Amino acid sequence: MNLVLTGLILGIVFGFILQRGRFCMNSAFRDVVLLKDFTLLKSVGAALLVMLVGFALMNMTGVITLNPKPLVWGANLLGSFVFGIGMVIAGGCASGITYRTGEGMVGAITAVIGLSLGGYMTAAGFLASFKTNLQGSTKLLAADGSNLTLANLFGMNHALLAFIIAAIAIVVWYLLARGNEDDEMWGASEGTLFDKIFKKGWGWLTTGLLIGLVGIAAYPLSAAAGRNYPLGITAGWIGIVKRILSPENTLGWLSWLIIGIIVGAFIAAIIAKEFKFRVPKAGVMLQTFAGGLLMGFGAVTSGGCNIGHLLSGVPQLALGSILAGISIILGSWLTAYVMFVRPQK
Amino acid sequence: MGSVTPDKTLDVKGKICPYPDMDTMTTLKKMEKGQILEVFLDYPLSVERIPRNLKKQKHKLLSSEQIDGPIHRLLIEAHGLK
Repeated sequence: MNLVLTGLILGIVFGFILQRGRFCMNSAFRDVVLLKDFTLLKSVGAALLVMLVGFALMNMTGVITLNPKPLVWGANLLGSFVFGIGMVIAGGCASGITYRTGEGMVGAITAVIGLSLGGYMTAAGFLASFKTNLQGSTKLLAADGSNLTLANLFGMNHALLAFIIAAIAIVVWYLLARGNEDDEMWGASEGTLFDKIFKKGWGWLTTGLLIGLVGIAAYPLSAAAGRNYPLGITAGWIGIVKRILSPENTLGWLSWLIIGIIVGAFIAAIIAKEFKFRVPKAGVMLQTFAGGLLMGFGAVTSGGCNIGHLLSGVPQLALGSILAGISIILGSWLTAYVMFVRPQK
Repeated sequence: MGSVTPDKTLDVKGKICPYPDMDTMTTLKKMEKGQILEVFLDYPLSVERIPRNLKKQKHKLLSSEQIDGPIHRLLIEAHGLK
């Protein structure tokens, strides 16, 4: 079997989980300021914890070799901030608009077209030299020339630091959550098991843990296909654009993952009777397309989107990814405030 | 819930995240205590998120039914500002 096809299979699983769990980092961050709703944020936290421990164990036992992205602080700050702005305008993060494409949401389809084109123009088009210069002029490396992580910054063993951070996070989380009843963290409290899995949305903990496991499975599978990194979205879409533009380009592991996500979300939506082509007004499609363009520019400038940096790089303790993650959140909060909170006052 | 007659109907079908939630919440804010709002929406995330956040504003979800594909109908009793 062609090794890139593991991307397709894992993508189908990932897409199914994303659709059932309604997992979206745009909602996760934005809803904190907009609705004081922490549900999806907790999902992101659970996924990060699973991967933090899983990556450290796999790295320790030689199953994978960690491959943190470089710290390019200027590009991380600017690119990810623009990405955060873009995802609020587009109504979804890179993974959110990808799985909703499989649900038949046309506003999400116009957003992924924007993401792909914005990404392609920044990776290989007229914005490429800007991106390369910004990344090159703000790159910082560890003393031994490796990419900076919290571990080599503090001169600590990666696995030890990962376990310490995970332990602290679990204790803090437990203390914060104490007294807050949450009867739907695993899923709907009523209905048959079949309904809970295939008809109703999953709870945040179920979704977060499973996405963490998908990330863990992604690392060695992707590495076996010659791409030593766990999940990603934006580069996969750019790969699809390149394949369309010139047929001699073949689709890589990540592009197959994207196709899988759409198929998996489609299957999940069909079973739940949630699939339908939903066409919003022209102005909305233009809005999500523009948001997508900003996301594509931002992701490629920073070297990753919410999945490449935040979900896959933060558990590797990469400084560039941590900075990018903070920047995405700040960009999304600013935009949510300007677009939704301020007009209500 | 055929016996309940809504005082107001809101159609947010085709709207993108987070407008279904925002529109529902702002409409409820303007309604009197005990009035019933009927919402039609087709965005799965909001079908679950709106009921979750109603509780915080003390509005009451009377029913949520899937009527056609992703289209859902929610019936909500407003808590009122006073």
